[in-house]
Amino acid sequence: MKITRQNIVQTLDECIDELNEQLNKEQRLSKTPETPLLGNGGGLDSLGFVNLVALVEEKCQERFGRSLVLAESDAKQGTRNPFDTVGTLAEYIEHVLAGNPGAWH
Amino acid sequence: MKSELMRGLLVSDFNIENLSAYLRNDADEPYVQCAVAPYGQVAQTLLDPSLPCWRSELDFLVVWTRPESILQSFWGLLAGSEVDEERIGKEVDDYSQKLLLAKDRASVMFVPTWVVPALHTGHGALDLAPHVGVSRVLMEANLRLLKNLDRASSVIPLNTPKWLELIGEKSFNPRLWYMGKVPFGNELFKAATRDIKAALRGIRGRARKLVVLDLDDTLWGGIVGEVGWQNILLGGHDPLGEALVDFQRELKALTKRGVVLAIASKNEETVALEAIRNHPEMVLRMVDFVGWRINWRDKAENIADLVASLNLGLESTVYIDDSQVERARIRDALPEVLVPEWPADKRLYPHALRSLDCFDKPSLSDEDRRRAQMYMTERRRCELRSQAGSVDEWLRTLDLCLKVEPVQESNLARSTQLLNKTNQMNLSTRRMTEQELLAWASLENHQVWSFHVSDKFGDSGLTGLLSLETAGGRARIVDFVLSCRVMGRKVEEAMLHVAIAWARSEQIREVYAQYSPSARNKPCYDFLQRSGLRCQTDNVFVWDTSQEYPLHHSVRLIHDSHRQPGCCPLPVTPHQP
Repeated sequence: MKITRQNIVQTLDECIDELNEQLNKEQRLSKTPETPLLGNGGGLDSLGFVNLVALVEEKCQERFGRSLVLAESDAKQGTRNPFDTVGTLAEYIEHVLAGNPGAWH
Repeated sequence: MKSELMRGLLVSDFNIENLSAYLRNDADEPYVQCAVAPYGQVAQTLLDPSLPCWRSELDFLVVWTRPESILQSFWGLLAGSEVDEERIGKEVDDYSQKLLLAKDRASVMFVPTWVVPALHTGHGALDLAPHVGVSRVLMEANLRLLKNLDRASSVIPLNTPKWLELIGEKSFNPRLWYMGKVPFGNELFKAATRDIKAALRGIRGRARKLVVLDLDDTLWGGIVGEVGWQNILLGGHDPLGEALVDFQRELKALTKRGVVLAIASKNEETVALEAIRNHPEMVLRMVDFVGWRINWRDKAENIADLVASLNLGLESTVYIDDSQVERARIRDALPEVLVPEWPADKRLYPHALRSLDCFDKPSLSDEDRRRAQMYMTERRRCELRSQAGSVDEWLRTLDLCLKVEPVQESNLARSTQLLNKTNQMNLSTRRMTEQELLAWASLENHQVWSFHVSDKFGDSGLTGLLSLETAGGRARIVDFVLSCRVMGRKVEEAMLHVAIAWARSEQIREVYAQYSPSARNKPCYDFLQRSGLRCQTDNVFVWDTSQEYPLHHSVRLIHDSHRQPGCCPLPVTPHQP
């Protein structure tokens, strides 16, 4: 599958659908760019975050044929946290999968 | 009826929160809520009943471990060492003992068997060699674990390798393991959830008992009314024909598990029955069906009528039809009937049937195996009833015999099954596990009798249960349970006679029953109202034991002479001609 923002967002939406099967009703994530993930106002606890990361890494590997490691330490090299919202995560994944040099800002 | 919430505890040496989440969120009944025992403290949790996690009343327990963390020898094997059989045997036995120690803290304990990742090749070609083969040692350890747990009826091992086979490569998730100590992928936890839920339904008496089948393009290929029975597709050297024969074989195998078969088909009855009787490749014959509605009426009406005639509920029924339109119609009209999606490809029929988990039950009794035969004999009884002049005359001709015995190990499985699955003639609708019932029965002021009904047509099996609790010179009927297939033959009255005769022999002055209404047990209330017991208040019915409770002349009582500890022998009642 081609690495486009649209395809990445679709992949993330599927991950959210699968993650929501594990979450309580009040914790379930919406599939919008503004939906918070971690940090201030973030909805996921540590296990929820781990489950989401594993899902995203697996599905991106399957869809785009590229290995993706969403380790926090790599992500925080830049000034923004890619796990702030669904939207920032999509941006970050696009940045990494596109093989862009340098930290993500 | 509002579904009860079942409470469970999950004990594991890995992060089992994902299983807890799937169990909690699963849409199928029963609904469950799980607590999770402290991570990685399996032995401590099993050995210490004073821990906070044991404080709540638990309906079920899941103890799921990894072999390398429980069996030190297995850890060594994975690291390349050979295994000493005696030593690993002892490790398995020690673990089994811990499980058996903890099992009574919940009504049922599930123990998934041990697995390692399917891609783990062990020592390659030596994988099944003794002492060094990973798979070999694991099979033997699991077999020993199973044998140790066999004697505990409330422990249900779960077949983890089956889930691995279903899920394949994604069974294990290395990413989740290293990030969160979750070894298994989501699909495996979902498969585990399905099996645990199916088992809980079976334990609560909610396993499905009846399969209603369409005929054309379901039991055979083609439309029998168009092509004649000689030309339907069944058997022969044809892949679809062979698959349909196998499908019928699988259905027949289901009947050995206490599931009965029936037909609902839009056809000319004579034409359809001719195919069943005459086609040489039919596996299922007339004797395999407990009833049928073969006509041109609406199938939903036919199914409702058929199920009612069998004294079963729609919630016990599965309907299988190749037609998407008919399936949709039944789902819409009869939402309690389970209508599985059915493959268009007939080669997939046997597999589709085998994959249904709605028949799962934790135990199988002789009566389960003979259930289909019992329905046949019931049909003959009904035919005789329609010929008899009066109910009394009919009853007299039945030559009904009621064998009474205390609830004990030999009849415990069936007694518990009856208690848990009977809804209509059930005074208090108590639900108990085998161990709970046995424990209750063994208390000094409790009596529990089972009633085994037979007549000249055959054996209806253990179909009645009555329990008494005595206090202060009075005896309360706690359970009064009767299978609907023997209702209306004076068995109800005979059961009361037995309880009251015992109370009279013990100089107990009064026997009473307190009716607890449920969504389905009004027939029990109706019986109590006409039973001759005095209605003291709305739901309390009383008998003064200064009077005998009459035994109907058509019933012959046989008392089991084998005396159980804590259970007094029953007074003998002479049969009235």
